[in-house]
Amino acid sequence: MKSLFIRQLYAERQKGRKKHLSLLPLCFLLFQVLWALWQLTHAAPEELETGYLLLFHHLPLMNTILLPMLAAVIASRLCDMEIKGDTLKLLYTMQKPAQLFHCKFLMGLKYLFYFTMGQGLLILGAGKICRFTDPLKWTMLAEHMAVTFTVSAVLLAIQQTLSLLSASQLLPLAAGLVGCFLGLFSLFFPTPIARLFIWGYYAAFPAASTDWERDSKIVRYFEVPFPMTGFLLFLGTVFIIYLLCKTLTVRKEV
Amino acid sequence: MMLSRCIKSENQKLRHSLIFPACIIIPVIPAVMGTFNYLQNTGILTHQWYSLWTQHTLFYASFFYAPLIALYCSYLWRLEHRNHNWNVFMTAPVSIPCLYFGKLAVIFRVTLMTQLWVGILYLFCGKVIVGLPDFCPANILFWLLRGTLAAAAIGAIQLLLSMVIRSFSVPIGIALIGSVLGMLLSNKGFGLFWPYSLMLMGMNSNKTEDALSGNVLSFLLSTLVFFLIFYWLAIHFLKTRDVHA
Repeated sequence: MKSLFIRQLYAERQKGRKKHLSLLPLCFLLFQVLWALWQLTHAAPEELETGYLLLFHHLPLMNTILLPMLAAVIASRLCDMEIKGDTLKLLYTMQKPAQLFHCKFLMGLKYLFYFTMGQGLLILGAGKICRFTDPLKWTMLAEHMAVTFTVSAVLLAIQQTLSLLSASQLLPLAAGLVGCFLGLFSLFFPTPIARLFIWGYYAAFPAASTDWERDSKIVRYFEVPFPMTGFLLFLGTVFIIYLLCKTLTVRKEV
Repeated sequence: MMLSRCIKSENQKLRHSLIFPACIIIPVIPAVMGTFNYLQNTGILTHQWYSLWTQHTLFYASFFYAPLIALYCSYLWRLEHRNHNWNVFMTAPVSIPCLYFGKLAVIFRVTLMTQLWVGILYLFCGKVIVGLPDFCPANILFWLLRGTLAAAAIGAIQLLLSMVIRSFSVPIGIALIGSVLGMLLSNKGFGLFWPYSLMLMGMNSNKTEDALSGNVLSFLLSTLVFFLIFYWLAIHFLKTRDVHA
């Protein structure tokens, strides 16, 4: 017999049928594939020698622009059905609010997982197609994917909370847009200020960095050690934010 | 007469809505952050009003202007997508072009307000916060106007997308992807052939010299063509497709 939580998760899956939610990460990924191809076909031969590092440096920037909005759109699609149909009152008579929050989050996480895996494949595929000469370090790939997934997950939790709390989806989507703005701007700020904006954390744990010579205009990519302690602290913060989001949603009067 | 009534009714639908706070708050972010970035880099950014303009419009015009218009459009159509309002909308004794143009006019009005606010914030930051001398150059105000005109094309596309896609968020995601693609295409010189590039070209985002100098007519033509294409598509869709309330 299926456990109660699995059944609730299954119900969430049923609600998402024919909503074509998988198309969302696919579209965003397809765009990144096009962008990567464009970027790599215009790269200088010496840049392709460090092709993997180039991708590990540029993809976090692209993620900062796109993924807060992807998280906002996924959360809105998953939660809007309850707001539009005014079903929360009915659901909460049978289901604990916290369970609904967990189930919805896991459903959203599934699409972010697809996207992250797809981005991993993009890096591998780009290396094969464009014949990068530098070897791929699997630890770097794993670290990049872990950061992408974790930051997206925390943004999903925030967006899901906003989507469930507000009667109109205008507010959560506007918040997603503001998040994109803040994340992107934070990349140009001094590090202590940049760390205040969670939307910019895609680039907070870089696997590669650059050295630009102003006179010759040559960009050199090099590996940087992964800040494991910082990442573990970030994971702890993610957990706290998730609990906070859950508490806020559970306390909502329906 | 009918058209003005349609515009009035669309305006009424927006009363007490969250669109206006969004239209006020969102442009404040690029203004604050752009000014901060300008003040941090005054050693490199030496063109005063022009440099401040690049910082204010760098990301706003390139990535977020179109999603902001998409947000307005999604909100406006959401009202029709809910509670069987499509039936009421389509059975109103008003011609379809009037109904649709009513929505388009409201979108354009809100966009105009947003752009005005962007201009006010730019002048305020330049004069009061940064303390730049004189008044800002007149051509920057012209760029702001050009960016507003380009919004007509985006308004037409996004209104069509939000009408066809019964989701609030998906058209906004499309607008963001379109904008990023628009920036890439504009850098390659194909901006006039992609509607989402028109706004950043019109606003001369992140450039101190006019990127459209001598090309303004092509820009206006491109805006008009995209506007007419998507306006016609929307009217055709409304006239020929059955309503799913």
